[in-house]
Amino acid sequence: MTDSHEFQHPNYWAVWGFLFVLTVTEVGVAFLPWSKNLLILLLLGMALWKALLVALYFMHLRFEKFRLRIFVLAPLPLTVIIVIAVLTEFVR
Amino acid sequence: MAHAAVMTTPANRELGAGVYNEKLGMWVFLGSEVMFFTALIGSYIILRFANPGAFGAPGQVLNVPVTAVNTFLLICSSVTMVKAFAAAHDGEMQKMKYYLLATTIIGAAFVGVQVYEYTHLIHEGFLPSGIRPGSHLAELAEAGQLGLGVADPGVAGVYGSSFYTMTGFHGFHVTCGVICMSFVTIKAFRGGYTQADHRGIEVVGLYWHFVDLVWIILFTIVYLI
Amino acid sequence: MATAALAHDAAGHHGDAHELSFIRKYIFSTDHKIIGIQFLLMSLIFLGIGGFAAMMIRWQLGFPGEAFPGGALLPETMAPGGIVLPEFYNSLVTMHGTLMVFFAVMPLLVGVFGNFLIPLKIGAPDMAFPRLNMWSFWIAVPAGILMMAGFFVEGGHAAAGWTSYAPLSAIGEYSGVYTGQQIWLLSLAMLGLSSILGATNYITTVVNLRAPGMGWFRLPLSIWALFVTAILVLLAIPILSGAAIMLFFDQTIGTHFFDATGGGQPLLWQHLFWYFGHPEVYILILPAMGVVSDIIANGSRKPIFGYHSMVYAIIAIAFLGWIVWGHHMFQSGMNPSLGMTFMISTLLIAVPSAIKTFNWMGTMWRGQLNFHVPMLHAITFVSMFVIGGLSGVFMASTPVDIYIHDTYFIVAHIHYVLFGGSLFAIYAAVTFWYPKMFGRLMDPFWGKVHWILTLIAFNVTFFPMHTIGAQGHMRRIYDPNQYEFLQPLQGTNTLITIGALVLFGSQFIFILNFVISWFTGAKASANPWDDNGLEWTVPSPPPHGNFATVPNVYHAPYEFSSPLVEEDFLPQNRKLDGTVGSADTPAAG
Repeated sequence: MTDSHEFQHPNYWAVWGFLFVLTVTEVGVAFLPWSKNLLILLLLGMALWKALLVALYFMHLRFEKFRLRIFVLAPLPLTVIIVIAVLTEFVR
Repeated sequence: MAHAAVMTTPANRELGAGVYNEKLGMWVFLGSEVMFFTALIGSYIILRFANPGAFGAPGQVLNVPVTAVNTFLLICSSVTMVKAFAAAHDGEMQKMKYYLLATTIIGAAFVGVQVYEYTHLIHEGFLPSGIRPGSHLAELAEAGQLGLGVADPGVAGVYGSSFYTMTGFHGFHVTCGVICMSFVTIKAFRGGYTQADHRGIEVVGLYWHFVDLVWIILFTIVYLI
Repeated sequence: MATAALAHDAAGHHGDAHELSFIRKYIFSTDHKIIGIQFLLMSLIFLGIGGFAAMMIRWQLGFPGEAFPGGALLPETMAPGGIVLPEFYNSLVTMHGTLMVFFAVMPLLVGVFGNFLIPLKIGAPDMAFPRLNMWSFWIAVPAGILMMAGFFVEGGHAAAGWTSYAPLSAIGEYSGVYTGQQIWLLSLAMLGLSSILGATNYITTVVNLRAPGMGWFRLPLSIWALFVTAILVLLAIPILSGAAIMLFFDQTIGTHFFDATGGGQPLLWQHLFWYFGHPEVYILILPAMGVVSDIIANGSRKPIFGYHSMVYAIIAIAFLGWIVWGHHMFQSGMNPSLGMTFMISTLLIAVPSAIKTFNWMGTMWRGQLNFHVPMLHAITFVSMFVIGGLSGVFMASTPVDIYIHDTYFIVAHIHYVLFGGSLFAIYAAVTFWYPKMFGRLMDPFWGKVHWILTLIAFNVTFFPMHTIGAQGHMRRIYDPNQYEFLQPLQGTNTLITIGALVLFGSQFIFILNFVISWFTGAKASANPWDDNGLEWTVPSPPPHGNFATVPNVYHAPYEFSSPLVEEDFLPQNRKLDGTVGSADTPAAG
């Protein structure tokens, strides 16, 4: 019977390695004497990269149908909307 | 007959999401969890943007090295979790059991380290209501050594409030995960999962990875920025 | 074989071979139909309590200084001599809103009809997760009991309005209410969990458990509405949970989220609450629109006019509903640029609602109108909702809202959409699906009496609120006569109160009809309304597992007066040659 679960396992240890390297880099970057905004950009970027690795490879979203990915993507704009909207309250 | 097909959707069910009910249900539920953490983490971002002086610089109040190791621990538990699922998928049931056990133990360790961190912070004087007057941290704050933009420790109120609420609820979610993981591990050791049907492992795995994912974001935002 | 496999698959337990005990069958039931009825009974009780709170509020406004009948029974802390204290009045106002929104209307629409209708109308034997469904109900019940317990604690119940604005709600010293507010928050957190679990169930069920042939564009609009509503519940309620937790901590462990003196932001509460709160009001209206569509099509013996645009309108309302929340905050002191943004988005959202209204009218146009009781309520929904929607257009305009915010104009709007809208739709839906739930019909004569009395008393009560609101009568106020400019409005307030008393009394006709018909109502056939939905192809009430064999769906949901058949209706699983289809291939493997 058709196994919709047929996929090649990604190399989980490789992903783990990536995550390890990113974590160490993050901690290192956090204490560099660069501009705050640049640091925030870099750190958030790395955090999102790690999150994406977990989502795509550990949670197997890379191999799931588009229909399922829609469910995952749906809440994300809502997160952005509330944070950005309320932040405008404090922009001077 | 229905048994082998439970990990997939039957042919005439292609009307649906293309995944079995429990998996779809967990993804749907995780959507609500995203919104829950949005409220907490979003509030932190907003409160910090509104009042940056009330929040300490990285490492001044919170223990970055210990938490970095803890972060790494949680990531390891995510790996053992997905290896357990992969083992079940490939029919290697012995491997699956031990990976599940490892996940449970590492997860419990994460919670343990967090509890240790909390007790240490509280002892130092960092409370949900702010910095306790007369505590060690209060002295550092008054001497201007905490990277707080204001000398008055009372105004660091939102720092403690948001820190404990965000990490506390994340820790609560991990604890629930550890409890569920324990049940799954016990069931696995009793032979409750097969290569044909290991839905429980995949589903609890999704929850576990999600909790790890939230922590990845939390660690960066709260400890490193 | 296919059925047993299906029943095993979806219901998660073996077929109905063994008899369940009374407790397993009716108390801790996992059958979606029983759970739906449980929600119905629970919600009707809270509807009554919420209504009673409203009577006390109206008595104070209509007959100030006079003892409330039976008020002497209340303790001195609430109403000495039968006259409510201002503090208790604030609690009444809070609890009226809270109970009606969270424990009456939401469970009535989402808990009752989501549960009862979804599996039946999509051709499934039960929900995807029947045991989770049972938990949804049995978490909601203690939440309700906890909410009622708040009346009996020291300091009284929560009194900061159903919107619970900080810092009044965050700092106990400001109002004298401590435990009551905390109970309010905990109760809502519990109810929130119940709702989220329910939403997970509904979404998974609609996506995965539709019968063969039940494509997305063959779903009845009631199911579309409930599905989209479940998505709103899933994504909006957790925001409230998060905010409630933060407020709870402000109250109990001294955090400072919403406390300016501690570096917090009071406006953050309003933003978070309304980010939840606005999707919440669409949660309260979309299912009502959905069931009304089903009933109007039935009562007009015509397909719904513009079925596809109805679906897109539901989706548009759900989408837009996320970006209008600031229209509750025009007067809050928020960033003025946000004000303009929200005005535009709010005016926009009137469009899909208007599309739906014209489509209901288009459905009725030149139909063979059958004014059965559900149809009467459904038509009333459309007209009252239009009035409520029109007042909404005034409020959407920021310059106008600056004048009418927090006045009775808003109260009028709320009640025209929630009572004139949702509640009439609930009456329509309960009457319509009552035979399917209980196997008997509600008495149509008393149904019509209830309807006309409610319609008239409702308008006597709430229409004048537009006028007094525009004249500056603020909401939630205990004693308007303290202001000289409001004293001339006392007469109107008394008229409103009289209307409200008649309105409240009239609902007993519905309750009596409901209860008595359960025992002595005319027995109902499988399809007393000659409707097309799959639920009408099984007995009234349906057996556990709903369908003897998995139905196969051949048509759109509203094939009334089809030229292809003799009868003026055509059930979704009936082929044109009159035979009933069942799944051509077995359900599983």
